[in-house]
Amino acid sequence: MKPFRILLLAVVLMSCARSVTRVDPGQTIDLSGRWNDADSRQVATGMIANLLNSEKFKEYTTQLGKKPSIIVGLVRNRTSEHIDTENYIKRIELALFNSGTAEVVESGAFREKLRVERVNQRDFAKPSTVAQWGMETGANLMLFGEMTSESDVYEKQRVVNYVTTLYLTDMESNKRVWYGQEEIKKYVKN
Amino acid sequence: MKHPGLQRLLLSCIGVALVGSCATYYRSNLVFNQDFERGDLNKALRTLQEKPSEGAGKKQFLYFVNNGLILSLLGKYEESNYYFERAYNFGEDYRINYLNEAATYFSNPNFAVYRGEDHEHLLLLYFKAINYLKLDRTEDALVECRRLNIRLQQLSDRYDTSDKYRKDAFVHTLMGIIYESDMDYNNAFIAYRNAYEAYEGEFMQLFQVGAPEQLKRDLVRTAKLSGLDQEYEQYKVKFGILVEDVVAPGGGELIFFWHNGLTPIKTEWAVEFAISQRDGMVYFVNERLGLNYAFSSSNYKSSDIKSLSKMDIYRLTLPKYVERPVFYAGATLSLGEDHYPVQLLEDVSKVAFKCLDERMNLELSKALLRLAVKKATEYQARKSDKWAGLVTQMINLMTESADTRNWQTLPHSIYYARVPLKAGPNTVTLKATDFQGRSQDFVFTYEVKPGETHFHTFTSLDALQAHPGF
Repeated sequence: MKPFRILLLAVVLMSCARSVTRVDPGQTIDLSGRWNDADSRQVATGMIANLLNSEKFKEYTTQLGKKPSIIVGLVRNRTSEHIDTENYIKRIELALFNSGTAEVVESGAFREKLRVERVNQRDFAKPSTVAQWGMETGANLMLFGEMTSESDVYEKQRVVNYVTTLYLTDMESNKRVWYGQEEIKKYVKN
Repeated sequence: MKHPGLQRLLLSCIGVALVGSCATYYRSNLVFNQDFERGDLNKALRTLQEKPSEGAGKKQFLYFVNNGLILSLLGKYEESNYYFERAYNFGEDYRINYLNEAATYFSNPNFAVYRGEDHEHLLLLYFKAINYLKLDRTEDALVECRRLNIRLQQLSDRYDTSDKYRKDAFVHTLMGIIYESDMDYNNAFIAYRNAYEAYEGEFMQLFQVGAPEQLKRDLVRTAKLSGLDQEYEQYKVKFGILVEDVVAPGGGELIFFWHNGLTPIKTEWAVEFAISQRDGMVYFVNERLGLNYAFSSSNYKSSDIKSLSKMDIYRLTLPKYVERPVFYAGATLSLGEDHYPVQLLEDVSKVAFKCLDERMNLELSKALLRLAVKKATEYQARKSDKWAGLVTQMINLMTESADTRNWQTLPHSIYYARVPLKAGPNTVTLKATDFQGRSQDFVFTYEVKPGETHFHTFTSLDALQAHPGF
């Protein structure tokens, strides 16, 4: 019996060990039922396909006569969860950049960093290498968006429907050039 | 044993050793606690750090958080966060040590590592985030904010009924404050809205703490700042707020947290059970308290059942909180002719009581199991040798104690206020009033740059005499 007890003890001790496994980043793993990386990926994939195949967007590009420059504006989160919209916006930016259908210009905090650096260059860099002012590319389109969610909860069941809407608006005319919408509905049973 | 003198000596030694080990956590750290309660923080810190081995022992969580809190009070925010980070990592990496857990059934729960109460794990992140905000490290404060969000989600997933502590309205408010400090008004609005809903729901129901008026203003302001026009109008009408708080151009703002009093202390209480067995079940009954617990006798060996059946009445110990009532009933902040009420965000004391209440059934089951195991070992020992049985009985008696560990340097309650400041020097007075209507003023001066937010925590350690017994 003694070896058996030692074995049992060993099994118990081993079962307490932490386990870490690398998984494919594309694999969907749902734990709590809340918004997660799989949802961000699904929204990004859907939006990219929608935008690149959009006839309206192609028509706008043709009329413009060049690749439009896009700046990321604001994506409002009206859900009750803290969702980092940057997760799917960055994927969309990357896909646009790689597809060559549009140019992406810097926005927000990064643009401010560039401007501060440009000021510093005037004081500290060799004059022939100083980046010039007034040479930034003005965006033709601004990306806006909104996320909403509707929940229905009963006892241990929960249904949440997330709706993500993105749109590109022309900077001059304020007209919307493209709309994309992705819905993710989840049924969570505890 | 064949030497009666040796036997008596052995029993005496065991007795002396065990009496010392069974003092409550508060008593066994009396010098530290008295230094802290007197406000002698440097001495309390020295006393605490005299035992660095505790940083790797069963009370390491408490060692880390006590260090973190005192260093924060001393204004050593970087050092404070070093300890809070260790406490956070402890919570993340905590795994049950089954050998220690098994040992608790032969002795008492103090043999296991103290893992920290739910609210303690949330509050350590509060202190950490505020330390970062005081250091003007908003990005780092945001990391704590995300960690708080995960902790809240874990808490919420644990229960599915609203009568449990599964939402912390104060923590949502704190998250809103952190997001707002980063000018992320959208997330700040979401956090404030979650806080408002939690205050009006669970917090009112469980702790009788409703949404502070300031939170309503925070909600309206961030709805406007994040361009949520529909929500802005909705909440403005709902709360009857005509003019939302917006920092005057060229001015700054003070966010003032007041830590009032001290959190309750854990001690122990004894409950007696009569034990009987019938129909394949073992019953532990206390008629006076209306407690009746049944365990299947198939869980026990026949020898254990035999020993249990010989029992009459047995005493076991359980943890309980003793409140340290606050000395100050409330406070107001004044800047010139303007007065700002300092409003209650969280009654930490009530949250602590609630956390333990929710766990009491589990504590009771563990204590009953411990009792059964101890009695079975005692019976077995007595069968082989009378003295061995006596020694076992004595050890069992002396080692029986509850887990009285908790984070005892936490405040009793947390309050807050927002005060608009003008650029340049500002003198703000906190008027704290006790239950007899007597007040005491504490004066603070802030040098403000345009657009700057000052985060200030003020701690009043004064507490009324708690009920004796801890």
